[in-house]
Amino acid sequence: MLRTIEIKESVFANNDREADALRAELKGKGLFLLNLMSSPGSGKTTTLVRTLEALRGELRVGIMEADIDSDVDARTVQDAGAKTVQLHTGGMCHLTAGMTRQGLEALGTEDIDLAILENIGNLVCPAEFDTGASKSAMILSVPEGDDKPLKYPLMFTVCDCLIINKMDVLPYFDFDLDAACERARRLNPNIEIIPISAKTGEGVEKWADWLRGQVKAWKEK
Amino acid sequence: MHEMTLAISAIKSVIEFARDNDIDEIDTVVLEIGELSLVVPQYMEDAYYAAVPGTMLEHTKLRMDIVPGNGICRDCGKVYNIIEHKGRCPVCGSESKDILSGEEFNIKELLVLEDEPE
Repeated sequence: MLRTIEIKESVFANNDREADALRAELKGKGLFLLNLMSSPGSGKTTTLVRTLEALRGELRVGIMEADIDSDVDARTVQDAGAKTVQLHTGGMCHLTAGMTRQGLEALGTEDIDLAILENIGNLVCPAEFDTGASKSAMILSVPEGDDKPLKYPLMFTVCDCLIINKMDVLPYFDFDLDAACERARRLNPNIEIIPISAKTGEGVEKWADWLRGQVKAWKEK
Repeated sequence: MHEMTLAISAIKSVIEFARDNDIDEIDTVVLEIGELSLVVPQYMEDAYYAAVPGTMLEHTKLRMDIVPGNGICRDCGKVYNIIEHKGRCPVCGSESKDILSGEEFNIKELLVLEDEPE
């Protein structure tokens, strides 16, 4: 005879506990961790380079690049003046809190105020795993289309800030900015939406301001 | 392939639970997978059996209970299956809804062999 033992625990519970523990430690140290997510080709690295330029002299930034088995992005960002570490994730589609902790250890956090995790380019799996970040942001670029919130609702639900990138090419695409914003807000009424062009620099200062405010609030509270 | 990470995470949790509760032998591990979760049952099954060798779960069976993805229409109150109706209320056509079930991915229960009465 078989006896049933009820457990009823989410499989994500382990990761969620590790993430909460990491977040509490970072809070204690006053180190802000941003989890940055997007599709491949949305302009994450270019946006990061612009962000570093905007924050230069104010915040010391460290970047963890989780692109699969390549150090192209890490070198680009390093050239822009940030401390970087390349996380080789060997084909994984997302990062867990445990992997993020290892990344922070490899990066070394004593001399930085802001750590940015450039998550793997994918709108599905990274949304499911809490990395322990203070805040999460995502980039949606104009050529990807305004229907992405409908197709990948979880990603838009878990992010605190939505950057809409490549605004400079808006006239050439059937991208309805109002529709994209409305769809994102229907999923997540509190989401901050910032249209930018990492290429021309348009909107980057507004994004940098949002980030400054978040880092400040994290250190104060 | 997030199924592999999740399978390993589930296996770890089950082993911990068994240790804490003095369970030596498990017959079946039961997972509860919602239709709206981003977990593909077929991949989960493959990942589970690929990950158990060398653990105390090596000879266990996996059972997956699928939870329907149901929502309630915010406009007319109809409860319907979101997958079947492609997210649109079959009565009034509205896409506005609250999800009632189907997002879960849980370790539901374990089936263990009952000790034979002496």
